[in-house]
Amino acid sequence: MLSPPSSPARLPGYDLREPVEADALASLRRVFGPERGEERWSRACHDAGLAVGGVSTQAQLVRAVQALAAQGGPAAAVARSVEIRQRTHARLAARAATAGGPR
Amino acid sequence: MTAIDPLYDEERLREIVELDLLAPDVDPLLADIAAQAAARLGLPVSLISVVLDEALHVAGFHGPAGLWLEETRGHPVEWSFCATSVRTRDAFVVENAEVHPDHRTNPLVTQDGVRCYAGVPLISSRGYVLGNLCVVGLEQRPFSEHDVGVLRELAAEAVRRIEQRRITA
Repeated sequence: MLSPPSSPARLPGYDLREPVEADALASLRRVFGPERGEERWSRACHDAGLAVGGVSTQAQLVRAVQALAAQGGPAAAVARSVEIRQRTHARLAARAATAGGPR
Repeated sequence: MTAIDPLYDEERLREIVELDLLAPDVDPLLADIAAQAAARLGLPVSLISVVLDEALHVAGFHGPAGLWLEETRGHPVEWSFCATSVRTRDAFVVENAEVHPDHRTNPLVTQDGVRCYAGVPLISSRGYVLGNLCVVGLEQRPFSEHDVGVLRELAAEAVRRIEQRRITA
């Protein structure tokens, strides 16, 4: 029997969900504009050996974001934002699990 | 024409990276300033924050051991008290977060017990607001002009140290 998804869509109390590829791309579009934002993400995915639109796990997102960070400049700041959101979700989800799940 | 939200300003983010503020070796440079801020205002937590587009990054930290924030070194920007100063370029004070219109539903308030906050912007020599020097407490309290002045004085020292890290190409 398959296990259910290991993490809820949003952390109760914090209303926070794991970032996904679309979030990273939206951030880049906000900072760089649509065309340059998409070009940055395309390059990050290429450098990480991933296909645009095919970043489907948190581990893949980590790889793509690391490649984005390597571009330097404002792209590195956007990359750090995504990393922090991933870390925060993971840390708070672990704490909720340790405490016996959401109250 | 719509003004750009400073949070998403490409040049502000470039300034943050050129000042190397995301590097792990920044904390030892700034933590003593955060410690001074906490001690002088009598509060348990002080941060030197860098406000990114979608997250707050903790560049300098002082506080009790065991806080998740020390481990994550940041949190989503929508929870950030410090983002206000990036937009206003001025000090921001919350004396009772439970009744503050912008923060009474903030998870840092509802889940982690933050009750008071005072922060002043860190403004680089090129005029960009990088983040804040702030203090945080778990009980509501008033902040005086003197308190804000203390933070401004320490923030000036933080910016002086930060500017020495500027990456010159």
